[in-house]
Order: sequence, then C-alpha cells, then structure tokens
Amino acid sequence: MLIAGTVPIKNLLLTWGEARLEGDSLAVNDHSIPCTQGTGAMISAALAVTKYLKLDPPQVLLCGDIGDGKGSRSIYEYLIQNLPQLSPQVLVLHYWLPDMALMRGLCESIEKCPQKPIMIADAASMYAAKACGLASKFDIFTPDSCEMAFLADPEATHPAYINRHLFDTDITQTPKLVATAYQLKSAAKLLLVKGAIDYVVKDGEVVETITEPNMPELEAIGGTGDTITGLVSAFAYAELELHEAAIIAAKSNRMAGKFAHATPATKVWQIIEQFPAVFGEYLCEWSGVCFIKAGRES
Amino acid sequence: MVFGKRKKKPCFEGGGLVLFADVPDAMKAEKILKSAGYPVKLVAPPPHLRKGCDLALEINLVEQTGIERLLREGNAEYISVAPLRAGSSQLLEIVQVTDFGDWVMVKAGNMKLTFDKNSGVIINTSGGGCPDIPYLHAELIGKKLTEAPKPRDIGFTLCALMLDRAVEECLAIWEEKRG
Repeated sequence: MLIAGTVPIKNLLLTWGEARLEGDSLAVNDHSIPCTQGTGAMISAALAVTKYLKLDPPQVLLCGDIGDGKGSRSIYEYLIQNLPQLSPQVLVLHYWLPDMALMRGLCESIEKCPQKPIMIADAASMYAAKACGLASKFDIFTPDSCEMAFLADPEATHPAYINRHLFDTDITQTPKLVATAYQLKSAAKLLLVKGAIDYVVKDGEVVETITEPNMPELEAIGGTGDTITGLVSAFAYAELELHEAAIIAAKSNRMAGKFAHATPATKVWQIIEQFPAVFGEYLCEWSGVCFIKAGRES
Repeated sequence: MVFGKRKKKPCFEGGGLVLFADVPDAMKAEKILKSAGYPVKLVAPPPHLRKGCDLALEINLVEQTGIERLLREGNAEYISVAPLRAGSSQLLEIVQVTDFGDWVMVKAGNMKLTFDKNSGVIINTSGGGCPDIPYLHAELIGKKLTEAPKPRDIGFTLCALMLDRAVEECLAIWEEKRG
C-alpha cells in the first residue's frame, strides 16, 4: 500500500519510506510527522489496522507543503514518473493542491502499471480527480456531505464554488446527490459518504447506511474524516471486499469516538489510540477477520 | 528509489481567471505571479466573463487566496477572480451553525471551525483537503478567536478562504454573546 500526500512541515523535502508509530508519534525515516488533521491522521489510522492485522505497514510518499503547492507538485511529478515501476497493490491519494493537468498525467501513468492498483482518493486529490473528469477511474472516494454536493455539481472544480441549493441539501437527501454524481461520472466506483448518516454506495446503489453509535461530535474533530480514509484503505489492502472495508471503517471510526468519550474538543490522536481496542472487541464480529492467539482462534 | 525517464510536462489547466481593466495590468500581474512560482497563462476571456480588456490570466482557481494576496501586495490592479465554467460563478456565502452546548461549530462550505462558548478559544477545525488546512489547523487551535491569525492572511487556497468565512461567523457569534 502506497499513501501519498502533503504534511504541514514547510521544509520537508520529498520523502519516501515506511511509516511507523513511535509511542504516540508517527515517524517516516528520521522525520516525525504530526498526527493531526490531514495525511498524518490518515496514515496513523491505516497503521493501526496493518499493525493489528500483522500486515506490512504502508509505504508513504510525503512532502512538506503549507499551501503554496510546491510540495504537492513534487509528489505529482514523482508519481507520474515512477508509478509504473512501483505498481502498488493499493494507492491512496490524500491532501495536496488539486492540479487538473497533473492529475490527468498521474492517471495516465497508473494505466501503465502492470497491475492496476486499487485507487482511493480523499481530500483535494478527490477534488482534482472530479474536476478533471477522471473520477470514475477511482475505486473509492470518501466525501463528506458538502463534498458529496461538490461531486453532484457538474460545473464545480472546488467545494467553495458549488451551487447553493446543493450545499443546503439535508443529509437524508444524499442518495439524490449520489445518483446525480453517478450520472455525471463524477463518482468513484464506491463511495463512503461521511456524515450523521454514513452511506456506503456501490456503483450508484446505496448498499449500507451506518448511524450507530451516534457521535455527532466527530464532525467537529479535525482528522476524523481522514481516519476513515486510512481505515478503509488498510482494510482494502487486507483484501476485504471494498464495500465491506467501507462499512467496517465507518463503524470503527464511530466506535472509537465512543470509546474516547469524544467531545468537540477531542483531538484526533485520542480517537486513533482507541482503534486497537475497537478492533479487539468488534472486528471479528463485523468482518469475520479473527486472530489466532497462542495457537487458538480468539 | 526508482527513477524513470522524465516525461513531457502536462499542459496547464487552471479553472479560474483573473480579470483586468487593461492589458498593462494583466502583464504586470503575470510577471508578479510567475516570479512567485505560480503556474499562470495569459488568455482571452470567454465572452461571458469579459469585463475590461481582452486579456485575462488563467490561474489554478484553488490558489485564489494566495494569488489575490500577492497581487494586492504587489499593487497590481485587477477587477475580480472568476471560475472559467459558466455555472459556478459565486463563492459559497452561506454558513451553518451547530450548538454543542459548551461549544459552537460553524460550517462554511467544506470547512468547519469550533470554539469554546465560555472562553472564545478555537478548539478544533475540520474539513477541507488543501495542503494549507493541516497548517492552519495547527496555527488556529488553542488561540482566542480575537487573537488568532486570519486564514486568508496566512493560507493560500479556497479551503483557507472558506475557513476564513467560518472564523468571521464565529467572531460575530462570540461578539454578540459578549454584548
């Protein structure tokens, strides 16, 4: 699994390596990466899954960028040049400056991989894929309700410019936005729409909704959308069916919020540190993925 | 690391236009933005966006916040920034407010900001997907609304602009509460 995205460290050059947890921190090579909103939270959630399931940890491609786009362009250019050789099983694209031409180049590069990776995009990588008309090349998008409205707006290239009536849409109207997005070919094959109701949508059809435990506080906590993306990516890497990966990711995130007694003031690392306990208690029940401990199935 | 043969750079696709009253303004803006490393292209604006001269500057619309700040700092005159696609000409203005008891969350577009009702301290930001958002998250959390930096002053993207709207609305709520 390869995860690519920017981190808010201004002078961090393009960095490739294996992600690891060191205590409460995320580390790549000699760099400490903040486990806060963004790519750091996403990688940390993916690591929680790979560690629990005893899978290889994610490889990550990071670059510092606080918004001027230079680090983002370094990542695009590296991937465009090298993806056919790297050919990851799962490719996860996250925070970076959306650039339509570079995203087009990246998708052309993916076509040259010996085996097409499972392609997952969230955050501005998803914005770029939709804006340049290549959303349907992707396997999974993880939009929130506003980003779902963006996917359903034929003209918008960023959620700041969506049609007002789409933004005003209630969460229960998500299936209508989903249908429109699929008609426009602005959606990935599978959508996990994050909100008060989480919708799992496969090829345009809502296959599951998740509402429990009800944790409205999670919306306020920066990074809890990123953790869902990390979870679904890692479960896909664990070879669960993609819709199963999405359902379990949504349930795990909510349950971790409950375990953490989350309030709007909770920090995302406090959610992430609950994942091992959530998996220990529920993963077998939810997925059938059960562990052999000391020679016995638990 | 594996390095492959360098490929031809893809053509620029910006999605937004800076509109000008006259040609020298457009040329000056191009020079300023190119010097700062922004990918830009001088183009003829489509008829529905033509306001002044026949020259506009195509930009990556997402970078609107940083670009407008740079033009202001360089005293470069321009009329406005607009998306190229006809149907999406207005920035989202509306906000939604959620009361969590001790905390209030304001949602502006794809961005959310939550503050403590009693202290006026920003306790979380969420949403968005541009590279300045994790940076702004770190810069804003723990600071009072009245003392926090403005996302439009230190951010670069449309996500930062939406976060700025959320900050402004939170400030209005906070000041109304204080009477």
